[in-house]
Amino acid sequence: MRVTIDSIGKSFPGVVALGGVSFEVHPGEIHALMGENGAGKSTLIKIVTGVYRPDRGRLLIDGAAANFASPRDAIAAGISAVHQERNLIPRFSVGENIMIENLPIRRGLVDYGEAHAQARRFLDMIDPSIDTRAEVRRLSVAQMQIVEIAKALSLEAGLLLLDEPTASITDHEAQALFAVLRRLRSEGKAIVFVSHKLEEVIALCDRVTVLRDGKVAAAGELIAAMSRSRIVSAMIGREERVAEIGPRTFARGTPALEVRGLATSLGHKDVSFTLRQGEILGLYGLVGSGRTELARALIGDARILAGEIRLKGAPISIADVSDAVRRHRIGYISEDRKNEGLILAHPIRANIAITIWPRLASRLGLLTRRLEERAATPLARKLDIRTPSLEQQVGKLSGGNQQKVSIAKWLAASVDVLIIDEPTVGIDIRTKTAIHELIAEITRAGVSVMLISSDMPEMITLADRILVMRDFALVGEIENERRYEPMSRRIMGFIHAGLEAGESQQEASHG
Amino acid sequence: MLAVAIAIGFVILSLLSPAFLTEYNLYVMLRSFCVVLVVAFAQMLTLAVGQLNLAIGALGGLVAIAVGGMMEKLGFPISAAVGLGLLIGLGGGLANGLLTVRTGINGFIITLATASVFTGINLGVTESIPFYNLPGPFVAFGVGRFFAVPYLLIPPVLAALLLALFLARTAPGRYLLAVGGNAHAAELSGIPRDRIIVLAHALSGLLAAIGAILAEAQLGSAQPTIGADWLVMSFAAPIIGGAALTGGHISVAATALAVVLVVLIQNGMVLAKVDPYWVQFLLGALILAAVGLNRLRAVRVEAA
Repeated sequence: MRVTIDSIGKSFPGVVALGGVSFEVHPGEIHALMGENGAGKSTLIKIVTGVYRPDRGRLLIDGAAANFASPRDAIAAGISAVHQERNLIPRFSVGENIMIENLPIRRGLVDYGEAHAQARRFLDMIDPSIDTRAEVRRLSVAQMQIVEIAKALSLEAGLLLLDEPTASITDHEAQALFAVLRRLRSEGKAIVFVSHKLEEVIALCDRVTVLRDGKVAAAGELIAAMSRSRIVSAMIGREERVAEIGPRTFARGTPALEVRGLATSLGHKDVSFTLRQGEILGLYGLVGSGRTELARALIGDARILAGEIRLKGAPISIADVSDAVRRHRIGYISEDRKNEGLILAHPIRANIAITIWPRLASRLGLLTRRLEERAATPLARKLDIRTPSLEQQVGKLSGGNQQKVSIAKWLAASVDVLIIDEPTVGIDIRTKTAIHELIAEITRAGVSVMLISSDMPEMITLADRILVMRDFALVGEIENERRYEPMSRRIMGFIHAGLEAGESQQEASHG
Repeated sequence: MLAVAIAIGFVILSLLSPAFLTEYNLYVMLRSFCVVLVVAFAQMLTLAVGQLNLAIGALGGLVAIAVGGMMEKLGFPISAAVGLGLLIGLGGGLANGLLTVRTGINGFIITLATASVFTGINLGVTESIPFYNLPGPFVAFGVGRFFAVPYLLIPPVLAALLLALFLARTAPGRYLLAVGGNAHAAELSGIPRDRIIVLAHALSGLLAAIGAILAEAQLGSAQPTIGADWLVMSFAAPIIGGAALTGGHISVAATALAVVLVVLIQNGMVLAKVDPYWVQFLLGALILAAVGLNRLRAVRVEAA
């Protein structure tokens, strides 16, 4: 199957995910699709598999225009995919999950014997040890991933898309997968392979397309002709992106938050770092590396199994989220503003004052609009929240103003430590700068910030130091020298294990 | 576990009350079992896809009146009236499903609204006056029995067997549970999610119609109030039977056993001359206990 992606564009409110992307996947090749977080890979895959519809451009299959209204259409056209997120029915058996798109029917009834036999065949290609009659919810994460892959193979599609298929499986299983992919290639199937692991890509793929900021940075280059460093350069871009907030003068203050040997029920192992007063400490890592989960552990939303947390030198234990906020003054701004951060149907006034309701209430325990306004007004003014009135519903504000409300709410609570998760996702460039200035501003007032971001320029603009997380462990710590190119190269080096990581680690330890 | 509870209840009742094991009492119990079972199945199907149907009773009332009117006022033959009644149920369910899927509004609100619409039509047409002169064979079916087994039991048992087969062994049935289990994943697997949700609602409406016609035969008259008291029971049985409110996990057999248990308790309370109003109380307690037990199990699985 020949798949042509012809100047496809896709925008979401406030952000252009894909801005005119063109390249071609040929039959009989394994085509790598690479790029940093947010470069547009997953959006592109969702368009090819019919989950999203493109705003502009065309998708051609063997030269004919394809117009998918749903994933069902894409499957009918011979396209199958392993998506990044898990897509299995927990209470169904392994075999039924694998065959669900094409359950064998005999005399109108599902033929389970046949279904399990067929599922067995596809499962055996990767891992013969999984029982097709086991319930999916009882499997390990790695086993589920293998079931996902077997499910995609079962369609015997002309185009197979794999989004980070090896993220959670062992090397042995990955090798089995690669053998299958090579065989499919020799049968003339087209395969698109998304991975952050450069070694894999170089060993397996024929050509590579690199996306950067929703545009093509390298289109279908032969892997054999690309060096490792040229691929990384295409991913991060050559131009120096100048920090827009100017130099930060930040005195090495006393430690505000110290974490030693932390292990959590979410899977962190031996995490240690120090956040100093007034510092912006960056935490970089790929999606799923455990950054958000670390934030959740620090605000008491996960069980801590081992290790120590010290606040201003004194060891603390955090019972739950309200304990973290009220007693220890640690705040957290979720990356999911709409679902976890704000109450969209409530006015700005209430959203800002929510953290201090008990403190605001009058002696009789009454909470009046006046009291809320008195607390919220100076903050709204200071943060320059653009609104006709504090009575405005937060849901009606722009993304940038919503984020300002989130920050205002924690300033109202006068937190000492603020963890900010992906502060500018879905926010336009100008407001983004305003948010960056605001974050820098609050640290000058003494708040210590832990910044979680997948946005490399943002990280290098804002952070004073950058921690790199991979697989729920910290794998690197870099002093930010605010030069984009060498910094991003070193950070990516920590993430892409192998030769480059070794080099970067040496650099880091020497520097 | 339900089966054990039922067995214990059975033994206790037969020891305590000599009236319990009489042929007539068994007949009475089985007879009260019929309508409740079908109504429970109607709710179970919407629960299967992670939805719910508050309009079951209202739709049932409408069907009962329509069938009664067709037979008594319009002189339709029984088969035609019943057939059309089933179609009304199917259509009502279809409307619920289509409205839910097309508007994207929560099924709770949609069925709350359509329930009121169905009841409105029902009362508007009948002005709350029942139809008492139903055809002889129809009424005879409602009271007929073979020893302790009422004829009325035949349709619910058939429905149970067909449903079990449908959910376990047909592609649309499996799709129904897949959509309930993980709607997003089902959609990415090429399952037409919206059509499956509509199917669940349509079948739910059809079962509500069957329940209504059975209730009509059982009473021997078409009361506009048929269905008015179905709601709690329709949720109670599937939930006591272990259904997940989030969808994707239901059991025909366990739902049926839950109905048996409830009927047994009701019967026991009647034999013990307990005020029937306390049955409501006990039903509520039973739902709470069942949900609590499910939760406990889920917590234990997570901890393991």
